[in-house]
Amino acid sequence: MDTLKDKKTKLRITDLSKNYDGKCALEHVSFDVFQGEFLSILGPSGCGKTTLLRILIGLLEASSGTVALNGKDITNAPPAERSMGIVFQNYALFENMTVLGNVEYALKIRKETRATARQKAKEMLALLGMSEYENKKPGDLSGGQQQRVAIARTLVLHPEIILFDEPMSALDVDTRITLRREIKSLQAQFDTTMIYITHDQEEAFAMADRIMIMNNAHLVQIDTPDAIVEHPADDYVRRFVLENLQAKADSIRRFVRG
Amino acid sequence: MRKNKQAAPAAFKLILLCVFAALVLLPLLRMLLHISPESLKSVFSSAGIGGILAQSLIVTLTATVITVLIAYVLAYCLERTGIRGKELFRLILILPMLIPSISHGMGLIILLGNNGILTRMFHLQTSIYGFWGIVIGSVMYAFPVAFLMLADVMHYEDCSPYEAAKVLNIPRWRQMTSITMPFLRKPLISVIFAVFTMIITDYGVPLMVGGKIKTISVVMYQEVIGQLNFDTGSVYGAILLLPAVVAFLVDLSNRDKGSSAFVIKAFPLNKNRGTLAFSYIYCIVVSLLTVLPIISFMVLGFTAKYPNDMRFSFYNVQRVFDLDGGQYLLNSVLIAVLVALVGSLLGFMTAYMTARMKSGLSRLLHLIAMTAMAIPGIVLGLSYVLVYKGSPVYGTIIILVMANLVHFIASPYLMMYNSLGKINENIEAVGQTLRIGRLRLIKDVFLPQSMSTLREMFAYFFVNSMMTISAVSFLATTDTKPISLMITQFEAQMQLENAAIVSLLILLVNLLLKGTIALLRRRKLRKLGASAVLDH
Repeated sequence: MDTLKDKKTKLRITDLSKNYDGKCALEHVSFDVFQGEFLSILGPSGCGKTTLLRILIGLLEASSGTVALNGKDITNAPPAERSMGIVFQNYALFENMTVLGNVEYALKIRKETRATARQKAKEMLALLGMSEYENKKPGDLSGGQQQRVAIARTLVLHPEIILFDEPMSALDVDTRITLRREIKSLQAQFDTTMIYITHDQEEAFAMADRIMIMNNAHLVQIDTPDAIVEHPADDYVRRFVLENLQAKADSIRRFVRG
Repeated sequence: MRKNKQAAPAAFKLILLCVFAALVLLPLLRMLLHISPESLKSVFSSAGIGGILAQSLIVTLTATVITVLIAYVLAYCLERTGIRGKELFRLILILPMLIPSISHGMGLIILLGNNGILTRMFHLQTSIYGFWGIVIGSVMYAFPVAFLMLADVMHYEDCSPYEAAKVLNIPRWRQMTSITMPFLRKPLISVIFAVFTMIITDYGVPLMVGGKIKTISVVMYQEVIGQLNFDTGSVYGAILLLPAVVAFLVDLSNRDKGSSAFVIKAFPLNKNRGTLAFSYIYCIVVSLLTVLPIISFMVLGFTAKYPNDMRFSFYNVQRVFDLDGGQYLLNSVLIAVLVALVGSLLGFMTAYMTARMKSGLSRLLHLIAMTAMAIPGIVLGLSYVLVYKGSPVYGTIIILVMANLVHFIASPYLMMYNSLGKINENIEAVGQTLRIGRLRLIKDVFLPQSMSTLREMFAYFFVNSMMTISAVSFLATTDTKPISLMITQFEAQMQLENAAIVSLLILLVNLLLKGTIALLRRRKLRKLGASAVLDH
């Protein structure tokens, strides 16, 4: 995305740290996320990316530092008042409800009437190609379908930002590639800012406007994929990038051979 | 603001902790504090004490070994072989769990006593009273529990290590020592301790068929019931507590590890002809032995005057009801329903707090709830006498409900703890971001997903409260007496015909309840449609 500089700042993270029982899970992390951006947070397990995500959405309290949404400090705001949604790796659907029930549940609890809640939920499911599964239970769906329901459940509330916590780790390659495309097109359609955690470099490079690389509780580099490939910040990132290029080359080879 | 939100659950946990402390810890401490040096001296200097301890131990060990062996083979036949009629066998094999322990002793007397049905039929000369009587009765009492536990273990054993071993050409005996034994060690230890505790703390069987052999639990029962001697009773109670506490600690350390294993590949069913033939014979024989006592209750209960007048008669039924049996039956059902309702609710709330809101307090709460498992029923009964005597609840139905609640809460609590623990860990997080409150999630998500476990909990509380004679024996009055205690009353007067009818009544009520629960479950499954899978 060449026009990033013109974008306005959606989320500003300033000097964020988190200590667990004396150990540092996150150390002095600062960065901005722009309106409508797709930001991938990339790093090995234990690097602090999930901690960061949980602080952003308010499930975890930061030890120090601030989070601001649209210029407003939300560091201590409860999760529901941040206008953010989250999609987990293991879907976390309500197993006892139907697909439709999952999506309309949060709407029904708000002031929506039953009819409008249902209509909005149906529209959202149609958008994700899930209409024919409306009355199924999550247990009867494939992983990819369940993830679509989880996304619909979040998206139906029109959050300003959606956070994804390794949403595709449990899915097979074909499903991943299809879902990638769908998520990107949903993002364009709703102009939603997305923060997407993954340890899969290929995925990060394929989807993200910018990539943030984390290691050992630190932010190592945040930039566009091209910039990271051309100017890796240090040896760690360089190794990371080379591996990714290798993986890409492999997948192209696979694609060519069919 | 978020601090406040966390304060409410913490306060709720504290309240639950207090409830458990008052119901579990306080009575136990009170009983232990009741032990005086004099009563200790009088117990340990009494002539027979060495013999009592030794006999209890030997009899219990023998019965435990036999129980586990029988149950193991049974579990193998029903989990690993391709025999038909497994549902029927299962149904028959758990029937003994629906009647009081004392009924098992009684069944033996009716069948093999001096005037027993089999004794007369085959002109047997042996006496059932004594060592083997207690062993056989205890096996009858405990084997269904061991069977269910072992069947569960086998159900969740993974076959893939065996397939790997086969591919690697590892001989069978090596598979046994390197795969089966390490896998079985922990669950087997748990089963052995559970059975051991169950048998050594039971007074029903040895009271009936013990003859000259007295076990610790019988002595304790007679001290408290016969002589109102609470001081020495407490000493025996403390002795009985010992194996239970050891079992509890072993089980606790066992359970924490290795419970997360899941099955990658289930075992193929053994359809070897020899194995099948053996399995059929074995299951049929054990099933027959299981229903034999129940049939003997019917024979004895519905004849005019065994063995002289063998005509069919309702005389004994009539007599049970003339002696206020109807009132006691109502007492029992009332107690069972109350225990099941309150217990399921308390169990659910506690399990939710410990499984879904982990903290230091949660661990403490979990530990106390599990501690309840370690307290033998009669010890609990005596503790309650000591603590609550003189309080308004004493002598009412309420104290019976409380005692049963504590006596039986650990298992259903654990069922719910496991079931809630399996629900996706991120549900609350999702709820928070979607602005769905915790209470609403409990109502709309956790409760609906726990219905089948709740039904199982309800049934467990109900059935056990119907048949128990242990915790309630010291607490019941003539007004509040549950019907199970009529058996001990009839036993004292050697009126086995009436005791048989009472056993049948308890069995009938429990079967009705179990049947209703099964029916509810089936209807639910049908509603869910073909895609639903029976969760074992």
